Amino acid sequence: MKKINIKNLIVACLLFSIPVSTIISGCAASAKVAAKTGSQLWSENCRRCHNTPPATAFSADQWETIGLHMQSRALLTETEKNKIVQFLKGE
Amino acid sequence: MKKSILLFGFIGGMFLFPFNANIFAQSGTDSTVIKLAQEVNSLKAGESHFLVVGLTTFGFVNSSTTTNGIKQKPSSTNTFDANHYEFSPMFLWRHGKNLLLEFEPSFDGNQIGVNWACASYFVTPGLIVRGGYFVLPFGMYNKRLAAGWIDKVATDPIGVADAPPASDWGVEAEGGLPLGSMKCSYDIAITTGYQMLHDKLQDGALQNPNGSGLTDNNNNKMVSGRFALLPFSNSSLEIGVSGIFGKVGDTNDSLYKDATTTMYAGDITYLADIRPFLLNIKGQYNVINVNKGTFPNPGDSTKTYSFSNTSTSYFGQISLRPVSLRNKIIRNFELAFRYANYITPKGSLWEQNSTQTSIGLDYWLSWRSIIKLTYETVNSNYASMGISGDKTKTNYVYLQYSVQF
Repeated sequence: MKKINIKNLIVACLLFSIPVSTIISGCAASAKVAAKTGSQLWSENCRRCHNTPPATAFSADQWETIGLHMQSRALLTETEKNKIVQFLKGE
Repeated sequence: MKKSILLFGFIGGMFLFPFNANIFAQSGTDSTVIKLAQEVNSLKAGESHFLVVGLTTFGFVNSSTTTNGIKQKPSSTNTFDANHYEFSPMFLWRHGKNLLLEFEPSFDGNQIGVNWACASYFVTPGLIVRGGYFVLPFGMYNKRLAAGWIDKVATDPIGVADAPPASDWGVEAEGGLPLGSMKCSYDIAITTGYQMLHDKLQDGALQNPNGSGLTDNNNNKMVSGRFALLPFSNSSLEIGVSGIFGKVGDTNDSLYKDATTTMYAGDITYLADIRPFLLNIKGQYNVINVNKGTFPNPGDSTKTYSFSNTSTSYFGQISLRPVSLRNKIIRNFELAFRYANYITPKGSLWEQNSTQTSIGLDYWLSWRSIIKLTYETVNSNYASMGISGDKTKTNYVYLQYSVQF
């Protein structure tokens, strides 16, 4: 197997990032999905792996941190994460 | 004269008094302002947010083993279950809104290890970049289901959790994206990679992180990735495909320097509300290929022996919980069944065909703490270079408690 040249890898990553960022920015949710509330998204997404945590389990500041952790673990969309965290913070 | 001095002093005092009063008033206001500022500062969130969460799992196990039809002595053993013990605090440090540092050390009953230690930057919606030591994007069990308070049965599925290795050093890009009424996610990583062993007993096997740890034995990096689609708008179904590709041969080893591995995995998660039950189905299938399967014969080094170096493992799990019942006690019970299989290369020195059947009755004390009663049978057929070896059957009864804190 050929050695991977770091310069080539960086150039490939930069070139790859252009179509990837275009695709990412072009993705959008349907009106039905966009209208979902934080409570709905909390119920649908958390239970895919574990029980749904009550809002009282953590403080508002802690939910912000857990939101980032779970966004990465469950690969939630940004909107899903924001709405779920807002719901758990009681906003 | 005295009178005029007193009068002058009185008038002067009249002028000076407001001035002195101002000084006192000013000083009082300042101290109030300082006090308020201190109070506000103590309440201000700041940029750094530190949080410790984690989990622990402990329990008791009864086991009895039959080898080639003969009961082993003692006929059964009762012990605190060190093999599935775990104490893992997880340190989360968030800096601002976009940077998250995660560190999870773990004492697993035999040793202290690290599950992950990495920094993640949330670049834009749909793009997270990570560097450090992290769980590889291969299947979904290791990244999402392995924690004791999430797993419905007391053990890990055989051959899925530990083969191939779960964590590695490198960089990763991932994200979740909306696709109309659907949703998808991607996860790509470039890491150090595995190392193929050729030490007779495990000729052709990949290095296991539970042993000596992953070491970089060549200049090539391993690429791994997972793509998942959630076709329903309520996220009830997730279908994932994963792959790992990389060189596993040692640069300094003339015989095996070109050894490479190709791995594939498919995984599925499905949830359905069948009132009053919540049905939860999960499964994962792994294939591990290594392109080297010819090694010196351990009995006669002038000869070689060969085998097709492919291992497979899978599990399927179904669980049922009456979440919608009014009775608080009954709705906290959950019934789980899991079947797992692990097959290592036929003709190798480490040939094994094991099946694992697990039935569990769980009780949820809260959303994050569970008591599990699991009955499990593991049937294993061992062989070496095609010659049949021991056939074992082990029955286990686990009573386990797990909590996320």
